[in-house]
Amino acid sequence: MNSARTGLLLIAPLAIVLVGAFLVSVLLLAPTSFREYLPGTGIVPDSWTLENYLRIATDDFYREVVWRTLALGLGVTAACLMLGYPVAYLIVRGDPRWRLPLTLLVIFPLMLNLVVRSFGWIALLTNRGLVNNLLMSLGIIDEPLKLMFNLTGVMIGMVHIYLPFMVLMLVAALQNVPRDVEAAAATLGSGRMHVFTAVTLPLTAPGIIAGSILVFVLSISALVTPRMLGGPTYQVMATLIYDEYMQLLDWSSGSALSFTLVAIAVAIIWLSNRAAKRWAGLA
Amino acid sequence: MKSASTLAAAILAGSVALPAAAVSQELVLGAFGGSFADNVQACYIEPFEAETGASVLVKPASSSQHAAAVRATAGSSDMDVVFADDAFAVQLMNEDLIETLDRSKLINAGEIVDGAWGAGDAYVAAMVGATAIVYNPDKVTEPPTSWADLFDEKYAGRIAIGDISGTTGWQFLAAVNAMEGGDLDNIDPGIAKIEPLAKSAVLLYTQADQVVSLFERDEIDIAVWYPDRAGVAAQKGLPLAVAYPSEGGVAIRPTISIPKGTENVDLAHKFIDTVLDAENQKCFSERQFIGPVNRNVELSDEVAAIVPSGETVENLMFLDPAVMSQKLPDWTRRWQREVLR
Repeated sequence: MNSARTGLLLIAPLAIVLVGAFLVSVLLLAPTSFREYLPGTGIVPDSWTLENYLRIATDDFYREVVWRTLALGLGVTAACLMLGYPVAYLIVRGDPRWRLPLTLLVIFPLMLNLVVRSFGWIALLTNRGLVNNLLMSLGIIDEPLKLMFNLTGVMIGMVHIYLPFMVLMLVAALQNVPRDVEAAAATLGSGRMHVFTAVTLPLTAPGIIAGSILVFVLSISALVTPRMLGGPTYQVMATLIYDEYMQLLDWSSGSALSFTLVAIAVAIIWLSNRAAKRWAGLA
Repeated sequence: MKSASTLAAAILAGSVALPAAAVSQELVLGAFGGSFADNVQACYIEPFEAETGASVLVKPASSSQHAAAVRATAGSSDMDVVFADDAFAVQLMNEDLIETLDRSKLINAGEIVDGAWGAGDAYVAAMVGATAIVYNPDKVTEPPTSWADLFDEKYAGRIAIGDISGTTGWQFLAAVNAMEGGDLDNIDPGIAKIEPLAKSAVLLYTQADQVVSLFERDEIDIAVWYPDRAGVAAQKGLPLAVAYPSEGGVAIRPTISIPKGTENVDLAHKFIDTVLDAENQKCFSERQFIGPVNRNVELSDEVAAIVPSGETVENLMFLDPAVMSQKLPDWTRRWQREVLR
């Protein structure tokens, strides 16, 4: 009883901020998503329609954008995991002298503004950018590679931005793996590869799952990078929501898309939490 | 949401109250960014501040962002005067979010061309721009004379056009559509004609300034763009020339209006009057390369060659903003589905 009250008190400050600043404002948006919008006139007061949601399910353009967003999120998460795990392993298990410089290298991109980092990628990736100019003057290619306004550009930009989150989560998870367990496995005749797959990897599962959820949710809701590196042709849900709100002034449709995105994110977090529990339980 | 915005407005008001008290009144102006804001500062804000002693705080954003902000703070806008393209001004008017202008408070009202006033004086156009063809005369030796010239094979991979999110995007669509025999209710011909061009374009730009770097890096020879931006860039040394197609460029009318809820209605009118003043209009036209709305402005030859004036103004295609604000969402959705995919 007493501990329950202590727990409640401990989460109270965060809960108040979340409920006040996030939940309430989101719920205030809910009625808007059921309102009809008439271009040129505005939101029709007291109207009630499911059209805004039905359109997302039935219109193949919206469906394509939803699938693309999820596929992009998965791609970015997988790439961050593949690239991040070796770095995290090196930070935790490598030469201690390298720990600080490596950690700083990982964190460094976080100190730069998102827009500045995206502009940096534009300078590198455009048709007459650094990468294409270099490849062309070396005679490797004749025509500039299309590195922007498509999946390639957005993937490169997003992996760069979200890699630090993945690495930091994995570092924390790896630090929690007792070396004795690995030593014990080795003593009992396991090869290095087997120790890694049978002991280290399952023990870092919570970190992998947590890092993946974080990167995935950040990726599917990212706006600035897809807008700058994806342009008008590579639309994801966040850029579509922005366009519905800011360009078409159709707040009803924009709200419906926002709620759909939130619902997808919550469902995925819930599912992966269940999966994580199962994986950790089996290990 | 309403109470939240009121609270936000109150906090904002509180935060500006201290300096405002020191220098009498403050006017919050929603303007466009970039060179536009610089020139508004030099030609409109400076004379206004000198005359009234009030100070002006500029909030830079695009037309749609200003319109969204005025709607979000409905009836208690934090802006006193706002610039927005005419289709957005009509939208704000229809949503009853802007004050009716009082011509009796505008000394210069009589000098303004009739076409500049919005229905019921809800807003007034502050300038006349256009969507036209901009090209590099070093590369394009024969000046283009028609929108149809842009579809020539020789420009494949050397052309940029605007995405529909920008003014040139939908205006070019309207112009090509009219050329191909469509009308505002039927844009099938325009969509079909533009689709291959959009695919072969170097860039579908979403911000006007992206085109500057494309010309700078020699990535394009020709673009559907704004003569005013071209004029500013040419002044800084880029080799650029403007061609108004024989079918006519498309008129852009950035308007100025007063959001409801301002406590500075008189001061706001005073600012609009400053904007409409012939001398200030001339100053702005010559710096921004954009057409004036005051009849008494005489432009220099250099500027007159670029801005819509005389015959090119007569020839301009004027799209009804009331119709456009209804059509644009549908056009945008079709563009996203049929041109970009």
